[in-house]
Amino acid sequence: MSIWFALSPLLILTFGVLGLMLADAFSKRHSDLALGSFITFFGAGLMAIGLWIMGGVPAEVAAKVAPWIILDKFTLFFTATLCLGGAISSLLAGGYLPEHDLDRGEFYALMLLSAIGAVLLAAAGEILALFIGLETMSLGVYAMTAFRRTNPRSAEGALKYFLLGSFAAALMLYGGALLYGATGTTTLVGIRDALTGGQFGSLRDPSRLPTVVLSMVFILVGLAFKISAVPFHMWTPDAYQGAPTPATAFMSVVVKGAALATMMRVMLVAFGDKASASWSSGWPPVVAGLAIATMVVANLIAIRQENVKRMLAYSSIAHAGYLLVGLVAAWGQGDPAVAAEGRAALLFYILQYTVTTAGAFGALILCGSRGREAVTYEGLSGLGRRHPAAALAAYYYLRVLVHLYMREPAPGAPQAIPMRSGYVYAALLISAALLLYFGIMPGRSLEMAVAAAKSLG
Amino acid sequence: MNTQQAVADNAHALQPLAAFAAKSWPVIAAGAAGALVPRRESRTERFWFAVAAALTVLFVMLLWPDAAKVAEEAVAPAAEGPAYPHLISWLIFIPVIGSAVVLFTPRQATRAVQLVTMLTMAAELGATALLFKVPIQEGKWWLEESVQWIPSWGIKYHVALDGISFWLIVLTSVLTPVAVWVSYGSIHTRLKDFSFAFLMLQGAMVGSLVAIDLFLFYVMWEAMLIPMYVLIGVWGGVDRVKAAIKFFLYTMAGSMLMLVAILWLVFKYKSLAGTPSFDLEDLQRLGLPLAAQKWLFAGFALAFLIKVPMFPVHTWLPDAHTQAPTGGSIILAAVLLKLGSYGYIRFGMGLFPHAAHDAGATLAGVAVVGGIIYGALCALKQNDVKRLVAYSSVSHLGYVMLGIFACNPASMEGSILQMVNHGISTGALFLLVGVIYDRRHTREVGEYGGIAKVMPWFAAVWVIVTFSSIGLPGTNGFIGEWLVISGAFMSHGTLGQWGRSQAIGAAVGVILGAAYMLTVTQKVFYGPLDNPKNKHLPDLTRRESIALAPLIVLIFAIGLFPRVFTEPMHASVAPFIQSFNAKWRAPAPEKPVLAPAPEPAAGAAAAKPVE
Repeated sequence: MSIWFALSPLLILTFGVLGLMLADAFSKRHSDLALGSFITFFGAGLMAIGLWIMGGVPAEVAAKVAPWIILDKFTLFFTATLCLGGAISSLLAGGYLPEHDLDRGEFYALMLLSAIGAVLLAAAGEILALFIGLETMSLGVYAMTAFRRTNPRSAEGALKYFLLGSFAAALMLYGGALLYGATGTTTLVGIRDALTGGQFGSLRDPSRLPTVVLSMVFILVGLAFKISAVPFHMWTPDAYQGAPTPATAFMSVVVKGAALATMMRVMLVAFGDKASASWSSGWPPVVAGLAIATMVVANLIAIRQENVKRMLAYSSIAHAGYLLVGLVAAWGQGDPAVAAEGRAALLFYILQYTVTTAGAFGALILCGSRGREAVTYEGLSGLGRRHPAAALAAYYYLRVLVHLYMREPAPGAPQAIPMRSGYVYAALLISAALLLYFGIMPGRSLEMAVAAAKSLG
Repeated sequence: MNTQQAVADNAHALQPLAAFAAKSWPVIAAGAAGALVPRRESRTERFWFAVAAALTVLFVMLLWPDAAKVAEEAVAPAAEGPAYPHLISWLIFIPVIGSAVVLFTPRQATRAVQLVTMLTMAAELGATALLFKVPIQEGKWWLEESVQWIPSWGIKYHVALDGISFWLIVLTSVLTPVAVWVSYGSIHTRLKDFSFAFLMLQGAMVGSLVAIDLFLFYVMWEAMLIPMYVLIGVWGGVDRVKAAIKFFLYTMAGSMLMLVAILWLVFKYKSLAGTPSFDLEDLQRLGLPLAAQKWLFAGFALAFLIKVPMFPVHTWLPDAHTQAPTGGSIILAAVLLKLGSYGYIRFGMGLFPHAAHDAGATLAGVAVVGGIIYGALCALKQNDVKRLVAYSSVSHLGYVMLGIFACNPASMEGSILQMVNHGISTGALFLLVGVIYDRRHTREVGEYGGIAKVMPWFAAVWVIVTFSSIGLPGTNGFIGEWLVISGAFMSHGTLGQWGRSQAIGAAVGVILGAAYMLTVTQKVFYGPLDNPKNKHLPDLTRRESIALAPLIVLIFAIGLFPRVFTEPMHASVAPFIQSFNAKWRAPAPEKPVLAPAPEPAAGAAAAKPVE
């Protein structure tokens, strides 16, 4: 197997985005770009699955790009999952952007570029590659958030996201630099080797240990920011609310998924030694605390929201809490059997989360046409009666369900009118079909998650 | 010769006919009586009365243990595999398939939607009828199906049927069509959604009654919640959203604790056996120390007791019932609540015998004081008829739970029979309340009075159902309450010294039950007809009569021929109680242990006692 074939998902995304930018320059109808973007994502995902079916990338081929890019089954699993999220998001964009008069080709290019960063992030086995992936991903998303230029909320959200995101990235970079100083290496495996063995690891000088701990804190904070765990979640509701809804879907699915992948790699591989990954002196209690705070706070705030998109944002934060619980389970008290189960469960969860969340945002998109967007619950009142197909959202979120079906709209209140778009229908059908497939016959995807988890670390 | 031949031929041809006549004369007689006795009715109505009467008798005759057949079966037990290997799956999936068909029926074609729904439910009823042909097996599953679902987690699609769940499934299949049929008379908005929700609900209810795998059970248990939530929230009364959310939160809180307990069990099983399993039969081999059993039992029992509901977690029930549409109330009272008591028997007692035994006496006290008596006293003070019936449910479910806690064959059979009885009589009461609510749009007792004069049939049916509800001899309620109370009176082993006083308390509850039901009957139906709005109320419509007919039939069928109904249960209840008693009499182990798997040859014995 040639290395080009092994890297084909990334290459397809890269050449796809270049082609798409060219096509954008010469095409008149931008919504066709959504199809192109979908095909790019689909092709990349298909290549990842194909590589998986061929038994993964052989070790001698993977060694050519290691340790900067790691081509194991874990990477392939995440590549396929991220491409799935990206594919659904680009279909949603194909319906949403023309409807709301935002139809500009850059959106798809930004989305694909950002997805390249996400895949790179999931594959990175070295701190600099990780940082490049992180920045590539984030910059595209910042621009996508600001895409509704006439809307002040969009600008506000984007600015907030950009400032806080840059700050978090700087923290992470600083953490990486400190780690390099302490261990003399930037590869994740190298860091682990430097930290393991002996009471203070093979660190030549135990006085460097505080530096390691400090860098661990910095990196954890940076990653917690990216998956928007409480208390680093402040940007999330504003950015999610301000961004065009397909971008929100992309953020909550792809960005979060990639951040989770890198979090698993960093925490479980680089900081997987006995001292760092321990209940008494390491990161698990911190992550567990973050998880509890995230789940409780986000869910409580989500109850009080009146704006549907903001509610979905808080719900997405709460999901970050569940992911963090999974991360602690993936450590598994150091017991490899328990850890393997926890990792598999976490991977399976991110797959389900991708499908469900993309579907929920898709339903929200479907519920609003130009100028009559579904903003608040009240706007959705009685929608189940007026437009039953759009009431698919009912199956995803409960409080929306109440309003869709059980309330009569208040007289004179602004009401959402569903849009019609083949792209959105297609996205919803895909996510619904996958949802049913994963729900009723989870066996196969679960096996894949188990195999992917095994290849980590 | 020709004539002789012809006569002989005729005789030959007539022979089966004669045999048929000789065998089926009770059916024909009942049909004739049904046609001739009501005088004032039109021909079509008489015809239907005749059919109903004939079918009742036929039903009882089919169930009646045939002496010759029993002897035959005793000599040669059925050696081959079960006659209907996939019947249980059909029972679960017929409604689910029907709901998918409804989903693809145009919304405007309301007749088609109704037709598809009723046909699906008829098919379900037909499949249920096949259940009667399944041979009864003592202490074993009558029917069983087991397929791997998610092997890596030890999750199976394992469904099975025995005498404990048998009548509840029959009850579900009979009452769901009744509830839907009567709802089609009063619900005119969004029939498609309504039918879809009801079919999904039916599938989930049957699914939770037959699930033996705990994961499957949990899935079905949760799947039941959502259609009911929608039914209350969409077609309910004024405060429907609040009631729906209350219902949802209560049930959800309970089932979360159950989920935690299930997972704990599975992980403990895994640590002992090496592989995880959610199967009840596997988990029953787990012997747990008392302290662990108590916590796990608390998790399971809370989920089930909320569903039952038992004091003090019953407060969601009056709200949910009052706000739910008639059909929703019927199915909530008739089947959903029963799943709590059924789950308590199957899982609560099946998995944690020591804890269940220890808690039994205390909980029985709560069931008597907080359920039977307190529920009855609350019912006595209600002005809203539907709320009254809801509190009477709390009271009646107290008997069911008392019978389960007393845990001897009589009381347990009484409990299961009382679950069916309560389903029938309370279902009918909710249906009748719905009838007057549709006419007057109020349920205040004070708004009525003397309406027996304008609605004689309605009054007659109401009085019959009331008698059944307060347990008059000859009706079904009597049998159930009698078995429960006498069982509790004799249960020194389980209820201890308090058994007798609890039986007396339950008997007091019967009197209170008569007090509140007869008071409301007297206030609504008798006395002067002084409210001018009530002067011209129409009597029962044909739709309502057809919905009520099977319930009335069942009230008397169970009341007069109880043995037909308790016999199939007995085959499963007696061995269940035997193994339960054997389990709790053996001391609880100090540390979790795993009993060896039963030999496949002796295998089908469901509950091997843990040594």
